[in-house]
Amino acid sequence: MAYTPQYYPGSTSAGVNRRKHMAGDLEKLRDISDMDIVAVMGHRTPGADYPSTHPPLAEMGEPDCPVRQLVEPTPGAAAGDRIRYSQFTDSMYNSPSIPYWRTYWAAINCRGVDPGTLSGRQIIEARERDIDNYTKTIMDSEMYCPALSCMRGCTVHGHSLRLEENGLMFDMLARCEMGDDGNVYYNKDQVGVPLDQKVNAGKPMSEDEAAKRTTIFRYDNVAFGGSIGDRKFDEGLIALHHVWERRSKWGFRPE
Amino acid sequence: MVANRSDTEPVQIEIFPRRLLTPETAQRVLNEIYKEGGVTRIMVQGPSLSKVIPYGPGRGLPIEENRDLLLEVGDQALELRVKVGRIWLELENEEYLEGVKAACERTLPFPFELKKGTLFHTKSTISDYAKYGDDIKDKRILGLVDPKAKIERDLAVLSDERE
Repeated sequence: MAYTPQYYPGSTSAGVNRRKHMAGDLEKLRDISDMDIVAVMGHRTPGADYPSTHPPLAEMGEPDCPVRQLVEPTPGAAAGDRIRYSQFTDSMYNSPSIPYWRTYWAAINCRGVDPGTLSGRQIIEARERDIDNYTKTIMDSEMYCPALSCMRGCTVHGHSLRLEENGLMFDMLARCEMGDDGNVYYNKDQVGVPLDQKVNAGKPMSEDEAAKRTTIFRYDNVAFGGSIGDRKFDEGLIALHHVWERRSKWGFRPE
Repeated sequence: MVANRSDTEPVQIEIFPRRLLTPETAQRVLNEIYKEGGVTRIMVQGPSLSKVIPYGPGRGLPIEENRDLLLEVGDQALELRVKVGRIWLELENEEYLEGVKAACERTLPFPFELKKGTLFHTKSTISDYAKYGDDIKDKRILGLVDPKAKIERDLAVLSDERE
């Protein structure tokens, strides 16, 4: 029988969604074009060649190394692309993904990445054509809601602020706007430089859908712990306590 | 009937909407509150709306969306430099409270919290001393603007005449 890893415990919707993100079992909700993704990332002009920092590996004549023979380079590494990044902020108001789960997704499912997690934002660094590909996967999938998540390379705030009246996460740089057709448009790239053409990021999730798809535990949606009212400890929290107790008492020994 | 102390003393309240207000909604709320009368002081607070990109590769580029935002209340107009997320009011006395609540219910399209408390500081601080000296003629100015604000830009005195 093939082994199926179980990444996260718990039967709550947040627990199930966390498992889905970690396993890379993501539902595709929209299709944003490659050119649009590149425009929002802002590292190069859409359609331009990938600049490189070194010649393609095939031309470099690599040393005789068993690890290099074992590990196939990613397309970006093979071509000698620059390292570039995409960074997302996620609202605490039931954003579908949260920084740690973005990082788990990237670390488990993507090759050649350096994910970095902060309290309300998450950055992934990789070779340029790889990060283009990974960012498209994120923005097309249920890890992304145009209103509650946003690609923000600088002034990466909004996570813990109240939403704007139209339901968008607050952004001082006003990178996104709500169109008359109900779609959210990027009118600036991730560092706030205006785009030549607006990028349609699709329709935001409804409040109910966001509450269903979120990986965030919230007292007013799926509570992580507590004993007030209907609250009870999630299996994830019990597992966390278990790990913490074992680690504190004896150093981590799972048995 | 004898008026008790709380009926005649000024009261301070905080209006905390569930969402951050657009300049239009903020202006509508404040004007409705102002029309109810009894307002001694108003302070609006929220995340800053910078006019230029402060950090990163786009540093210095203008943010057009944040320019020319005005807050017109009564007979005065102020340049709006924050996304309004919190309103502090001082009312002449308790009897105006219901009017303020009704004005918020009329104009805010989402729920809000209304809390009573001591919000504006009452004594001159070191920052106030550095800014105004030790002779503050109008004590109402205390707590209205933060120490780094420019009074001529961020503070307006409204007349007592209301429409």
